[in-house]
Amino acid sequence: MKELAGRLTALDPDAGAAVRVIAYFDTLAESRAGLEALVRGAAVLAGCPARLVDVERRVHVRVEPDGRRQDSDGPPAPDWPSAALVPDGVPALWLERAGAAEPSVVDAVILERAAGALRVVLDRTRGRAPLSPADDPALVETVLDATAAEGARLHAARRLGLDPDDPTSRARAVAPLGGRPRVLRVRREGRPADGGSRGRRGGRPAEGTSLGRRDGRPDDGTAGDRRDGRADDGTAGDRRDGWSGDGASRDRRDGWSGDGASPHRRGGRPGQGASRDRWDGRAAEAELPRGRVGVGPAVPVLGLPGSWDGARIALRFTAEGSARDPGEPVVYADDLGGIALLAELIAPGAEPPPDVRDLERAAADSPWMLATLHAVASTASLRAAATGINVHHSTLQDRLTHAEALLGWPVRTPQGRLRLHLALTMRHLARG
Amino acid sequence: MTMIPPPFDPELAAALEALKDMLPQQLTMDDIAVMRQGPGIQLLAQFDLTMDGFFEVEDRLVPGPEGAPEISLLICRPAAPARPGPLPVIYHVHGGGMIVGTNRVGVDGPLAWARELGAVVVSVEYRLAPEHPHPAPVEDVYAGLLWTAEHADEFGGDPERIVIAGASAGGGLTAALALLTRDRKGPRPIGQVLLCPMLDDRNDTPSAHQMAGRGVWDRTANETGWTALLGELRGGPDVSEYAAPARAEDLSGLPPAFLDVGSAETFRDEVVAYASRLWQAGGVAELHVWPGGFHGFDGLAPQAAVSRECREAHVRWLRRLLGE
Repeated sequence: MKELAGRLTALDPDAGAAVRVIAYFDTLAESRAGLEALVRGAAVLAGCPARLVDVERRVHVRVEPDGRRQDSDGPPAPDWPSAALVPDGVPALWLERAGAAEPSVVDAVILERAAGALRVVLDRTRGRAPLSPADDPALVETVLDATAAEGARLHAARRLGLDPDDPTSRARAVAPLGGRPRVLRVRREGRPADGGSRGRRGGRPAEGTSLGRRDGRPDDGTAGDRRDGRADDGTAGDRRDGWSGDGASRDRRDGWSGDGASPHRRGGRPGQGASRDRWDGRAAEAELPRGRVGVGPAVPVLGLPGSWDGARIALRFTAEGSARDPGEPVVYADDLGGIALLAELIAPGAEPPPDVRDLERAAADSPWMLATLHAVASTASLRAAATGINVHHSTLQDRLTHAEALLGWPVRTPQGRLRLHLALTMRHLARG
Repeated sequence: MTMIPPPFDPELAAALEALKDMLPQQLTMDDIAVMRQGPGIQLLAQFDLTMDGFFEVEDRLVPGPEGAPEISLLICRPAAPARPGPLPVIYHVHGGGMIVGTNRVGVDGPLAWARELGAVVVSVEYRLAPEHPHPAPVEDVYAGLLWTAEHADEFGGDPERIVIAGASAGGGLTAALALLTRDRKGPRPIGQVLLCPMLDDRNDTPSAHQMAGRGVWDRTANETGWTALLGELRGGPDVSEYAAPARAEDLSGLPPAFLDVGSAETFRDEVVAYASRLWQAGGVAELHVWPGGFHGFDGLAPQAAVSRECREAHVRWLRRLLGE
């Protein structure tokens, strides 16, 4: 077909070749051809390798133009012609045609038709997509189970792709809300494994997220700093790609803060930059599930049951990130410090402490209440808080006066702010 | 009997759709001249015979059958053989329904085998029907084999290790050649490769009916080809087994055979029957029926998954045969 495709192109103007391409994929689709056949069709008709990478479904198919299946771990080049599987989605199908300024008409038709056919097949077969070992619940359960025999845990760890024989090997347990436990291997590239607090941060699965880290942390710098950090960070695509827990929290913050100044970020559509970031090698590294996730500390393989305990505790500190439930959807156990002790004091579903009851009462008064109080508790200054929720400084002052009256304690003093922070935190812990 | 045909393999179906304007389907005698000029056959004959410099290529005129013109042999031998000594020879007979084609048509397959195995390919050009009815084609093919066996040393070939091979009409002629060399006590090929071979002029098997009007080389085209070769004799009682090997009474004493055919083609049943009869005669044969394959699919859509498997099967069989 390579010769054929060449002949077709030579015999026909572009339009004629395009029609044949369309017929080719239509016929494949009609006869319910599989993914590899479709990717092969793209490779054969284009005369260059084609690859399909669907991160969410863990599908990776690469075919040479002679029809040979030959997968590759290398990242796609940004200048290859590509197509998304869904409109406005991230690139998922590439033609490995380097140095092409503009995809030819035929390439464009190949990509468009193949992507359309692939989408149909993936939708049809997604339930049968092969599980990667990292998704095997039995293996994950074993490696997290302190009561399982050490040999069994080591065996499971190896199956999961962890290397217990490497003394520097570290992994984290991950507890998604309502989802199955996961284990993430911690990339050690260029950074020491755990040590002090700096080391802990360095050991995060998602590196290169320092912008996000600053962004989301209470000890933030100025608001301007944060906004700059957001503006060039590749946008919410990070979250969609699933490698950055911090990206998720950032995104959530946009959601609850009503940050009208950055509607493009709230849109959540990954841009070009996002797709490039994604291929810096992080995607395969640390795919945090979406939604609320607790992340345990990075530990040697046999310490994973402890990491799992930490992850479950961290999960209790997470929030939806909505106006009703402001806070961070992704919480690292490493970051909790002494706050983690609160988890032992407050049982889920138990009668909430008085400060939490006050908070609920205040929340019932105004829709802005919780988001406003969260902003005050989690930013360095009232000015930063006002900017974060996009209200004028004086408006914030008026709101806080009202809030303090409802709560019965100040929130603008250091002690009051701590009390507020604890109340917000305990509110998370107290819910069922 | 149901006439519902087996479906084409999805990838092959798509390739067939893309190729259909170039390929003969319901070919009649009137279409032969057009087909000889058509893009399909040119397409099959256009590629790099040296395989990126692996082969040295020579066109050689050699004596034809007695009283007939010379014939042209295409000889492709490894430019730098991996080992010394005479090399195995793949003697290739091209396809084209007995009515079209040259010694370059379909030789890419044998060249690919020969590159894997370190063999010489000799591809014979024979006179075509209807201008040259039976026995002209098979006698040319036989004459070419005689020369090849007698002059193997001139091109580094081993006359004791000649494998005869062909696809479609070339497969039929190859099967006939095996019968001829047996009966005339001519050169003894060590194996015969019969790829979707055209064996039976009666054109009356269930698959020939089932696939009428479908795919490549359907029942009508097949009738055209056989009529060109045999004229009024086609389908009658007096057809030579050297024209239509399915007619042979005795299939004993033939070299080991590799046969394959698509499940969705005219020739399916006659090829399966021929393999069965080889076994019944105490012969050695390996038969592959490729699911969803149309006639000549592995040459026309070589990248498809089933085509890749098919081509690999050819090499594996040859490797075993040659003891490489």
